[in-house]
Amino acid sequence: MSNYEKLKEELTDLLLGENPEAPVVWAREILAGGVSAVDFFNSIFTPTMAVIGEKFGRLDIYLPELIDAAERAQAISDQVIHPMLTKQGSDQQMVKGKVLMCSVQGDLHDIGKNMVVLMLRVNGFEVIDLGVNVPVKTVLERAKEEAVDIVGLSSLMTTSQPYMKEIVERRDGFGLKGGFSIIVGGAPITKEYAANIGADAYGKDAVDAITKCLALLDK
Amino acid sequence: MRHRARLVEVLHRAETGPMIEEADFERTLVAPAIKKLVQKYDIKYRKEVFVPSDDDLADRVFQAGLDLAVEVGLFCQNTSRRITWTREELLEGLRYCPSEVIMGAGNDAIIARARKPDDNGRVVVAGGAFGTPVPEYMYIPMSLSYLKEPVIDVIDNPSLETVYGYPIKAGSPWEVLAAHREAELALQAAEIAGRPGICLGCVELSPTALGALAGVSWGGYRPTDWLHAPIMSELKTNYDMLSIVSHATRTGTILEAYYNPIFGGYVGGSEGVAVAIAGGLILLNQNHLPHTLNTRPNHPFLNCDTTPELIWATSLGVQSLTRNTNLVIDTLVGPAGGPGTKTMLYENAAFVIATTTSGQSLMASCHSSSGGATPKHASGLDSKICGEITHASRGMSRKEANEFVKQIVPLYIDDLPNNPIGKPFNEVYDMDKIEPTAEWQGMYDEVRNNLIKMGLPLDRLVF
Repeated sequence: MSNYEKLKEELTDLLLGENPEAPVVWAREILAGGVSAVDFFNSIFTPTMAVIGEKFGRLDIYLPELIDAAERAQAISDQVIHPMLTKQGSDQQMVKGKVLMCSVQGDLHDIGKNMVVLMLRVNGFEVIDLGVNVPVKTVLERAKEEAVDIVGLSSLMTTSQPYMKEIVERRDGFGLKGGFSIIVGGAPITKEYAANIGADAYGKDAVDAITKCLALLDK
Repeated sequence: MRHRARLVEVLHRAETGPMIEEADFERTLVAPAIKKLVQKYDIKYRKEVFVPSDDDLADRVFQAGLDLAVEVGLFCQNTSRRITWTREELLEGLRYCPSEVIMGAGNDAIIARARKPDDNGRVVVAGGAFGTPVPEYMYIPMSLSYLKEPVIDVIDNPSLETVYGYPIKAGSPWEVLAAHREAELALQAAEIAGRPGICLGCVELSPTALGALAGVSWGGYRPTDWLHAPIMSELKTNYDMLSIVSHATRTGTILEAYYNPIFGGYVGGSEGVAVAIAGGLILLNQNHLPHTLNTRPNHPFLNCDTTPELIWATSLGVQSLTRNTNLVIDTLVGPAGGPGTKTMLYENAAFVIATTTSGQSLMASCHSSSGGATPKHASGLDSKICGEITHASRGMSRKEANEFVKQIVPLYIDDLPNNPIGKPFNEVYDMDKIEPTAEWQGMYDEVRNNLIKMGLPLDRLVF
């Protein structure tokens, strides 16, 4: 096993372990031991987060463990990697993209949306979570304010679906189509529905949403 | 009913209980509490068991559920407060819960009664599309496909995709209009089928209290119908749901409260789901004051409740309550498979055997095709098989049930990740005659005969 493979395994264990402070301490030690911040980010940190995401996708770990892992990873990012990269004057992109997430107007369900938020974060996205029952106007205003790359809309009920269509219509109507993409998902949502309303992508579940968001960034 | 005098206290505590942010409620209270209780009460999932028959385990799950209910309470989303009760208050709430309910009216009325595991008592069969969205032209034919089946005692209909051709928007006048229209169509279907007094689940499309209250107002659904007031995952209520509860209390309408924990979510794995079912339904009884209580836990990626882990958890959660209370409990089968698939028929069989022998009072079916989310994907035969198996399982022990389920699960488990949603209603039924196509009926008969060969007495049913 290569050294990086071993380090990825160690980081995985620490992110899912009992000691919330241990991952940051470990990361500092690794970087002090000669691994560059860029290599650490690209070859150890990022792939490990993908492994954590895959574990959740198989339900080898559950939502509370995913949340803990995401927070510990954020701590490594904020306290160790980012300062190091800044000090070195690196222009390494740590954030893949910026996503605004919400459950649309009329929908109070949040667990599916929360899963997507977490999976996006562990996969290197910056996520702004607006919560549930978010009015159409608020979604568009915040998307513009935050200059997001993608807006993710969740709906668990057919009676909230029309608000997804409204958001797409208003984005296009106000000439914002070039500004951000829209991905939709939720139990009653289908690929066909997403295409009919003019959304840019459809996410079948939390795992699929990541693949689609990465594809949207490449466009 | 006698427990409904508690309503004002429920509303008062929603305004005065301890404050907490919603995200913190699940993250810092619910998730750690369940994890701790699973360990404290030594609740362990065993892969080789589908229908547990360990009474001590079931009783420990009940105690864990009671502890959970005391420790976390029910969160009110509008007030950001927890509605909390002491252990003694919760036990008193259980002591005086309704233990039977008359559903429907006249010659179509039926009584649902509390049962115990391995019970020989009759289980009420609730059949229908359970809110599966359908186009307006399909509403009555699909409803009739269930109403025609005499094994079905109570109906829970589809929901409308549009009203008079227009999309239905939550929280808008469209929702009100659609609720009235749904009630019109549901009552009309019942009349056509010659079952005017049959109990009708309602209001299927009401995402807010607007639709629910509109649908049960004058000219709509009746007090003998079955209004729904769920809580959100995990353990969260809100003013819309409490408004439905308040209205049902004042009008004397039959009320079902339900809670669907998410496998792999804040409640954790199978053990956590079982504890969440116990605690969640105890809290529902206390706060939503229902006649019947339902659970349909969900797999977040397969959108079903028929995986081995969820069959085990649901069976155990139900047993914990039926052994220790007189609650009138039902579970809703949610197969990944849909009409026109053997997968769905076998999924339904496994789930119904497990939950009926666990002591449920009603068997609710069927949330076909990925948990009822696929428009038009529901049909009368989906529930018919559940009804027949419910009656065939009466008096069966949990040990026997386990042996049946062990044989049935391998017949469908590998198909679940393939999204086997099957076919829409109009491709499995003649919509004019309201009869299954030869292909769908043939598939049904084949599965039924296989189950008979396994030893399930479907050819010797006693109603």
